[in-house]
Amino acid sequence: MIYLTAEFRDRAAAAEAIRLLRENGIAPADLDVFSEEPVEFPRGVLDRSSRISLASVLGGILFGVLATAFIFWTQHDYPLITGGMPLSSFWATGVITFEMTMLGASLAAFVWFLRESGLIGRRDRSAPVPHVDPGSLCLRVRCTAEKAGWASESLRRTGAIAFGAQGE
Amino acid sequence: MATVPELLPYKRIREDLFRPLSGISRRYAAAALVAFVIGATGLLAWGYQLRRGMGVTGLNRPVYWGIYIVDFVFWIGISHAGTLISAILRLTDAAWRKPVTRAAEAITLFALMIGGMFPIIHLGRAWRFYWLLPYPNWRLLWPNFRSPLLWDLTAIVTYLTGSAIYLYLPLIPDVAQLAKHNTPWRRKFYRALSLGWTGSDREWHALERTVKLLACLILAVAISVHTVVAWDFAMAIAPMWHSTIFGPYFVAGAIFSGIAALLLVMAALRKLLHLEFYFTPHHFNNLAKLLLLMSLLWLYFTVAENLTVWYGNEPNEMAVFGTRTHARFAPLFWAMVVLNFVIPFVLLGIRRLRTIRNATIAATSVVVGMWIERFIIVVPTLSTPRLASASGFYSATWVEIAITAATFAAMAMLYMIFAKLFPIIAVWEFKPHPEEEE
Amino acid sequence: MEHRWGMAIDLDRCTGCEACVAACHAENNLPISSPELAAEGRTVHWIRVDRYYEGGFPDIKVKYVPVLCQQCDAAPCEPVCPVYATYHNPEGLNVQVYNRCVGTFYCANNCPYTVRYFNWFTPEWPEPLRLQHNPDVAVRMAGVMEKCTFCVQRIRRAKEDAAEEGRKLADGDVQPACAQSCAAEAMVFGDLSDPESKVSRLTKSGRATRLLEELGTQPKVFYLQKGK
Repeated sequence: MIYLTAEFRDRAAAAEAIRLLRENGIAPADLDVFSEEPVEFPRGVLDRSSRISLASVLGGILFGVLATAFIFWTQHDYPLITGGMPLSSFWATGVITFEMTMLGASLAAFVWFLRESGLIGRRDRSAPVPHVDPGSLCLRVRCTAEKAGWASESLRRTGAIAFGAQGE
Repeated sequence: MATVPELLPYKRIREDLFRPLSGISRRYAAAALVAFVIGATGLLAWGYQLRRGMGVTGLNRPVYWGIYIVDFVFWIGISHAGTLISAILRLTDAAWRKPVTRAAEAITLFALMIGGMFPIIHLGRAWRFYWLLPYPNWRLLWPNFRSPLLWDLTAIVTYLTGSAIYLYLPLIPDVAQLAKHNTPWRRKFYRALSLGWTGSDREWHALERTVKLLACLILAVAISVHTVVAWDFAMAIAPMWHSTIFGPYFVAGAIFSGIAALLLVMAALRKLLHLEFYFTPHHFNNLAKLLLLMSLLWLYFTVAENLTVWYGNEPNEMAVFGTRTHARFAPLFWAMVVLNFVIPFVLLGIRRLRTIRNATIAATSVVVGMWIERFIIVVPTLSTPRLASASGFYSATWVEIAITAATFAAMAMLYMIFAKLFPIIAVWEFKPHPEEEE
Repeated sequence: MEHRWGMAIDLDRCTGCEACVAACHAENNLPISSPELAAEGRTVHWIRVDRYYEGGFPDIKVKYVPVLCQQCDAAPCEPVCPVYATYHNPEGLNVQVYNRCVGTFYCANNCPYTVRYFNWFTPEWPEPLRLQHNPDVAVRMAGVMEKCTFCVQRIRRAKEDAAEEGRKLADGDVQPACAQSCAAEAMVFGDLSDPESKVSRLTKSGRATRLLEELGTQPKVFYLQKGK
């Protein structure tokens, strides 16, 4: 596997390069764009799907249900009557249900973020991390040795400035 | 030289925002020393209270809640600084909020940490505070989840966790930057915190998604937190506490005091860190207008509450109402109205008067006024119980005052440490995208 | 059948002598009070006598109302305690568990009768007053809330004695210290679930009222007075 890196000053040029590479078979999973601030490409260029919202919703529901069930269980495990209120009541503990749902949602979002961004867990440790100057973008392509030559040519054509190659 | 920050070269922005992190000026050291001394006094006072008993405070029968609870509600209220700015303004994509978000979120986190200490400080047997947590024990007992105090616990823990995550996430890219240019021990610290952030688009995408999601969650939680704190009072049947308006009243009051605190902090940061290009008169103008808006909203709620009580003429409530408006607590009550409404209205409502200096004065007035407002809510009701033979007075002792002062010192200290370790403005968020015209 | 303890206090008999207050102090190891403490609002009187004045001299009328924990069936103090230090026991008593209390003060704030008292410091009794302590009653430490218990130690003792002797509790077997010491016999304590007991019959009389009844706390202390 060869890692090619190319620096672009211009977002449109980088988008063009990505489009070219993708048209010719390089998968989005093999492409990474490095920058010092978030870069927005037009739709369709390099979309990343995200499951963070789903994870958050599920985490929230799980936490909320577990917390409420736990409360109800404790109220029957050692039943103590207070103020004539019923032993278990959604009115009396609904606030806690809500808060625990929110807590679960926040934690699940955070954990899934760590996973999805690659900060924790699966990440290609052998891939080089290019140094990025402020204001510019760096495109890193992972491809086989056969495609490497043609890929470099595409990058050059679309206006990349600095180049790098690693691996064999 | 460009005066609009966005026109400054990126290198210059980064320099400006990273510069405060290196070196300690004499002024910083002096402030830290003062804060330390005040904080230490407060800690000693608390130790004395733990040793001798709650009798060292001014609490008595019937005023069983005093300044500690006032402080608790006050600091949780201050913690709503971040809510409005980060959550609401982020969700509506208001560009002017960008330099302000981290400062606001830091206030939120530290105010929560400090406010969360008070439910422990005010306990008669504070060393047993952990009995409020559900854990298996030899007595086979569980805490009483029906109690609003347990609701408080879950709400504050949730808000604290959410705020910590919400402050930490946008910090990661900046910390990754800091890891590149620094002294060796700091580099290790920053690199550990950055979790190996490389700035790839996958990471950015995930970050932005999560931050946006958290903004929604935090907003919901923040509203619920101060509602739950309000319900500590509203769920009680004490006269003038048992009011349905308390939930929204406290939330509005919290956002009100939160914006005031943010304005103060921003003014301080601007002066002390030489960030005049970043915290511009435009920001102060916007915040001042928001503060004015919240002042009017606060007035609306206050009038609604008091008018309802007065018109209803229920004897127990009117007894409390009387002590607040024209008897013992009247000076405080009317001072509160002047500080919370009259001064902000004049200084912020008249456009020619709406300068940074006046906005700061108005913000200080609001912070003091909102502390008094919490006092007016807590103490008069308790000192005027239904069975009048039990009426009483309350005046704080040195222990309570020392601990209160110590919390302000603690806030200052935490903030100073934070501003020394991390850029107070999110560098990556602040620099607009290279081609933002479309 | 489960007992349901209640009390009837005849306000037309009460002379305001406060013997009940003194008896309660002696029976329940209450801390010593003083004028200084009273000025600070720090005295502890599980039962107190409130005075209501009507008119002026020489046509003045005084009503004496002994106020103690009303042992409410819908007690507002119970649900707000985060650690179950106060809850309703099967005999209808609002019990206070001293060693569970962490001192949040919420129960005291929510009591509309203001009958809850706090231990601001660890109580001290100069010699020889300590020798007068009742060994059946715990001495509370600083940081703990306390209130009238309807002399639960006497209830328990009476039940134990009755069980030992193999008989049921009779009406009048249990006398809290206040009722026992009332010279005017204004205070009657007994089992409300027994329709024949003296207190049950008194509470059904036309003179029976309850304090702050409109709050719905369902107190179990009935005040008898002619004309409300």
